[in-house]
Amino acid sequence: MRVSTSSAVEREPSPTTAAEPTNVLIVGVGGQGVITVSKVLAQLCLQNKLKVKQSEIHGMAKRGGAVFSHVRFGREVYSPTIPLGQADILLALEWAEGLRWLPYLNPETGTFISDTQQIIPPFSCRNRKRGATSNYVFRSVEQVKQHVPNSYAVDATGMAEGLGNPRAANTVLLGMLSTALDFSVDDWQAIIAQSVPPKTVEVNRQAFLLGREWIQSDAHKEEREQVEVAKPPPAPVVDDVVIDLEITEAWCKGCDICVKMCPERCLALNSSEIVELANPDACTACRLCEWLCPDFAIAVHVHKKETAIA
Amino acid sequence: MTEASMHTFEIRDYLRQELMPHFMCPGCGHGIALRALLWAIYELDIDKDRLAIVSGIGCSGRVGAYIDANTMHVTHGRPLAYATGLKLARPDLEVIVITGDGDCLAIGGNHLIHACRRNLNFTCLMLNNEVYGMTGGQVSPTTTVDRFTTTTPLGNHEPGFDSCKLAAAAGAGLVGREITLQVPALKNLIKEGINHPGFAFLEIISDCTEIYGRKNQLGESPEMMLSQKASTRSDVYRNTVDQPFRPNAFETGVLARNDRAEYADNYRKHVEKTMDVLKSGD
Ligand SMILES: Cc1ncc(C[n+]2csc(CCOP(=O)(O)OP(=O)(O)O)c2C)c(N)n1
Ligand code: SF4
Ligand code: SF4
Repeated sequence: MRVSTSSAVEREPSPTTAAEPTNVLIVGVGGQGVITVSKVLAQLCLQNKLKVKQSEIHGMAKRGGAVFSHVRFGREVYSPTIPLGQADILLALEWAEGLRWLPYLNPETGTFISDTQQIIPPFSCRNRKRGATSNYVFRSVEQVKQHVPNSYAVDATGMAEGLGNPRAANTVLLGMLSTALDFSVDDWQAIIAQSVPPKTVEVNRQAFLLGREWIQSDAHKEEREQVEVAKPPPAPVVDDVVIDLEITEAWCKGCDICVKMCPERCLALNSSEIVELANPDACTACRLCEWLCPDFAIAVHVHKKETAIA
Repeated sequence: MTEASMHTFEIRDYLRQELMPHFMCPGCGHGIALRALLWAIYELDIDKDRLAIVSGIGCSGRVGAYIDANTMHVTHGRPLAYATGLKLARPDLEVIVITGDGDCLAIGGNHLIHACRRNLNFTCLMLNNEVYGMTGGQVSPTTTVDRFTTTTPLGNHEPGFDSCKLAAAAGAGLVGREITLQVPALKNLIKEGINHPGFAFLEIISDCTEIYGRKNQLGESPEMMLSQKASTRSDVYRNTVDQPFRPNAFETGVLARNDRAEYADNYRKHVEKTMDVLKSGD
């Protein structure tokens, strides 16, 4: 991970009447193109003779790592990072990342634009028990709207897929972003064409227009209101096996190995310093206690339900 | 071995249950080593009647007594010598020696180097707890420098043996080391040792919590096991450039292979030759 701050334009002496800069926060997970999106925006600002500062955290190429980029532009920009609650636009390439950064958005005047795509990282599931649900954050579009009235949730990935290239999802979102900013469509398209691989120029041109139209055109009004975010799937019911921990009290010497080594902290020593199963529900049948007990006092049995001992 | 059969291993089938609970102190790593050995025997499907355990004197040597198979509990330092005789007389047996660092490297050090030199096909598990546990905690040939024992009240000033390097240099067919915390890896290493057609020397880093651990304030068994883990370096990392381990870490895994001729064939040829000479009356 690397934090880089680039000042695109040499700083001029501060004009006494500096207008407040426009703040755009672009967020997503590694591999989605957050940096590409912010570079397009920064280039566009430079071309329009604005001062721009961009500051990013990147390098989380493995899916799941959070990536963000602050883009600030205007007549004068001093600090490279957006203060809490002062982003004018939050552009999210992934739904939970959008939610994560919501506090940066100005709740009254800010605009929230987010792909409804959900990339659930493995570590969102801290419970190793079979069938456990993940902690992936869930908020419906309505809940976000209560916080920021000016919110757009969109299946940008689905739209880009419709154009034949799901990787153009970020350009769909750029099209949406363009409706909130004062730059010409031609300028946007020219810079996008320079920034994407040559073979994908056409699909990105279409993706941009599709995103822009989706927000502007009345034809999409109903569609805009019907977007929903998928609820995380409910935990599958796991009842095919029964875990049965057999403790031979007469052999236990209370050494504490199993108690300390159990990853789920299922075991405890009772008042006679003999092991007991204190939290049976947490047991995943990993067998560490069975393997590490020097006195063979624990045996883990996993029965298929049909043959389970009641 | 499939997962299914791994899960059907019942240690009690291999224990002399009437002797249980065993005499080892709470948290002694020797019990974990015993589990790994019995698990390996189960997975290799070695018939108990064909299994011969030879063990020396010490807490480590006592481990053999709990195995429901043919067991010999022999004199201090000599299990390798007994095992050599046994294997030569009964090549059909699967002979496994259980010994300790004191048993194997101090009083039995000579037997070790000659067992390595001969390369007879049997396996030696040396449970290294860095101390003479059974006799109350005297210094051993593997005690870490500066550690306290009853015979080194000011701290041990002698350097210890790296028993694996010693065995490899003396010509053992296969040399390996593992800690008790890594039970499946230890079981696999023991299987490899048993399968090797020559002398296999395996050092198992054990812990004597009650005496050595307490005297040196090394914590309870879980802490001792975790610090063993921190001071070893798996062979998985051997060829990696970036080794995030302290340089003096012990390597674990298979550390040396020496594909030399196994001893028994030559021995039998020699016996035939001798018989011929005797018969011809020269
Ligand atoms: C010939 C002889 N000398 C000394 C002893 C005393 N003795 C019994 S066990 C032992 C040391 C065993 O230490 P080690 O092999 O490290 O095993 P541990 O008990 O630590 O597992 C000694 C010196 C003996 N039994 N026989
Ligand atoms: S590891 Fe075994 S002897 Fe130690 S406390 Fe647990 S059950 Fe008892
Ligand atoms: S004295 Fe040490 S080696 Fe012997 S049983 Fe106790 S803890 Fe284990």
